[in-house]
Amino acid sequence: MNVESQVVYKENAGPRSGPKEVRMRKVVVLAAGLVLLAVSAFGQNVIKLGANWPLADVSGLECSRAAQLAVDEINKAGGVLGKQLQLIVVDDEGKGDKGVAAIEKLATVDKVDVLLGGIASGVAAAQVPTMKKYQIVTVATGAAASSVVEKALGPSPDSDWYFHLHPWDYNQGQSYLDGWDAIQKKYPDVKINRIFLAYEEGAFGKSSFVASKALFGSRYTFDGASFKSALQGGSDYSAVLEAAKDFKPDLFIWAGYAQDALPLLEQSKAMKFSPPIYLGAPPAWPVDMGKSPLAEDIMLYGMWAPSINAISPVSRKFYNAYMAAYGAPPTSYFGALSYSAVYIIADAIKRAGGTEKAGLIAALEATRYVSPLGETITFTPSAVIKHQGIKNQKILQWQNGTQEVIWPFEVQSKPLVYPLPAWK
Amino acid sequence: MSASRSGKLRDAIIWTAVGVAAAAAILAWKPSALIYGVQRAGLYAAVAIPMALVLGIVHIVNLAHGEFMMIAAYLAYFAARLLGLDPFLALVPVALVMAVFGFAVYLATVRHALKAPELNQLILTFGIAIALGQSVNLAFTSQSWKLSLGYVSASATVGELSFGTFDFVYALMAIVLAVGLRLFLTRTRFGKAALAVGENPRGAAIVGINVDRTYALVFALSVALVGAVGSVFLARQAIFPGVGGPYTMKSFCLVAMAGVGNIVGVLFCSLALGLSESLINSIRGYAGWSNIVFFAIIIATILVRSFRERKA
Repeated sequence: MNVESQVVYKENAGPRSGPKEVRMRKVVVLAAGLVLLAVSAFGQNVIKLGANWPLADVSGLECSRAAQLAVDEINKAGGVLGKQLQLIVVDDEGKGDKGVAAIEKLATVDKVDVLLGGIASGVAAAQVPTMKKYQIVTVATGAAASSVVEKALGPSPDSDWYFHLHPWDYNQGQSYLDGWDAIQKKYPDVKINRIFLAYEEGAFGKSSFVASKALFGSRYTFDGASFKSALQGGSDYSAVLEAAKDFKPDLFIWAGYAQDALPLLEQSKAMKFSPPIYLGAPPAWPVDMGKSPLAEDIMLYGMWAPSINAISPVSRKFYNAYMAAYGAPPTSYFGALSYSAVYIIADAIKRAGGTEKAGLIAALEATRYVSPLGETITFTPSAVIKHQGIKNQKILQWQNGTQEVIWPFEVQSKPLVYPLPAWK
Repeated sequence: MSASRSGKLRDAIIWTAVGVAAAAAILAWKPSALIYGVQRAGLYAAVAIPMALVLGIVHIVNLAHGEFMMIAAYLAYFAARLLGLDPFLALVPVALVMAVFGFAVYLATVRHALKAPELNQLILTFGIAIALGQSVNLAFTSQSWKLSLGYVSASATVGELSFGTFDFVYALMAIVLAVGLRLFLTRTRFGKAALAVGENPRGAAIVGINVDRTYALVFALSVALVGAVGSVFLARQAIFPGVGGPYTMKSFCLVAMAGVGNIVGVLFCSLALGLSESLINSIRGYAGWSNIVFFAIIIATILVRSFRERKA
């Protein structure tokens, strides 16, 4: 009998598995099993925080960075209840549909324990129905438009899982009224009777005008006009500045974007428009604003500035750590807000003994967090929801290239310079 | 003088008279609207003229036109920050760099779509626009950057009216571009070759003109010119990745209004639109109408031209 006859050939038979191949398969299956075990074990030792911000926007990027900084600090100090925090950030691209998709992913795929984040009101408004579906405890860092977001959330108990850090628009407005009252009391030379608001013609500007008119209109002579923001291709503010000049305001406010800040000032100078108080209220300022001589003595609304470092050790710690990690300072208050959000959540989880929902909500309600914003954050009811954090903005002024706090006086870093000197 | 030439001359005189009368009326009623209207028109024309060049010769709508201007503005910004070069001094080097960049983009992309349907060409240049904008966004984020230059606040006072004078530089640039291009296209060898290619590429090829090289150089020239405008634009405006997009749209509308390749026509159309926008803006409560008026005028012009062509 020859060797070939001992081999049986079947038609279309594939290669037979030898002992080596079987061993390989067993190793692969075992390795996969070990990986899965490790992942699930890691998952049990991790507290997941899910966040969404517009990462292509500088404020969104700073939020993500500041939150990660807080997570790294907490983990380095031993984590929370022996577990490490894990921050999962999804880019909402500043769009409602992407924001909704972010919540879906964080809730169903990443199965996060707590949600945080957000900047734009439009995105938050789109997210509310999805958030209500999952009711994951949320600490929101953005959204000011109460007429869309707060209204959609609804009153307690339907929105008790939601903790809102950023002031609502009416909170901001009230704090401006309080602030200007306090400033006029402290500085008798400051007299405000006429207020003019130049606002960008989009949703942000228009809502600012409507809210400001309602707020200031009863106590001051109030007027305003719109302009096309540089963000939308505008470049000429002459019409609105002429209207403002004719109105002769004691307080001139502009509500637009960072792209409008210096061109507005340049055109104001060219047109020799220098009201006693010139105040800008953009969501952020251009990188080089402080370097411009035109910025000197311009006022602004905000919640945080590096000048708070002088009076707040927490702010100093946050600022120094951010600079060390990223090499550039935060350009708006959103970074400090996101940093605060992570610490607030971590502290609440620690006091609650875990992430169980009812316990966590109760712990968050008892929050008293000394924040880098120069104030202690607690949660109290707002017009609709039960858990509102910050209710005040600050009034600041550019002095020698730095944003100095003018009001509240508890965190004032420099005295007010008034009136705005005539353009040189 | 032939009948058609005398007809054209008569039309030109009538339109000039109408224009002067309108300007006088605006000056009497809202002098600042006239001043700022001319300045605004200058900016629109300066940005649109290079697009008219490329559309007239290469016959492609470059939807990345504004993005090239944006890239040039960023280059000029870095030249200012790192080398201390004023945007006006950076104008020529930036234009040269943009010429090379435009040439490379043409060879890599546009050249391969010249025989494609127009929709494909539009999608291609739109894709280039998105790629350029997003690349800058990734590299530098959306934060706006602005140089602080004292001379942009230069002003003049006439009676009680104080107004900025810097923006007249755009009107000057637009006139220089229009006159310069006209001379270039009609008096230089390459310019005449480019005109011939624009009129009849096949005929131009038959007489020995290198059509492909002409297209590449014209595209590069267009990008260089809008790059020069971008350098000056930086002096006055904040720059950010999306700054160019609205100007692409405005340029496209002006070029459509003026007619394909009509560089001088772009000047007059820009004036009409700049003045009308400025006038509408100056009326309290009607600022939001300026875009509607802008597009209404464009639509009306295109419709009138279509009816005339159909009649002819």
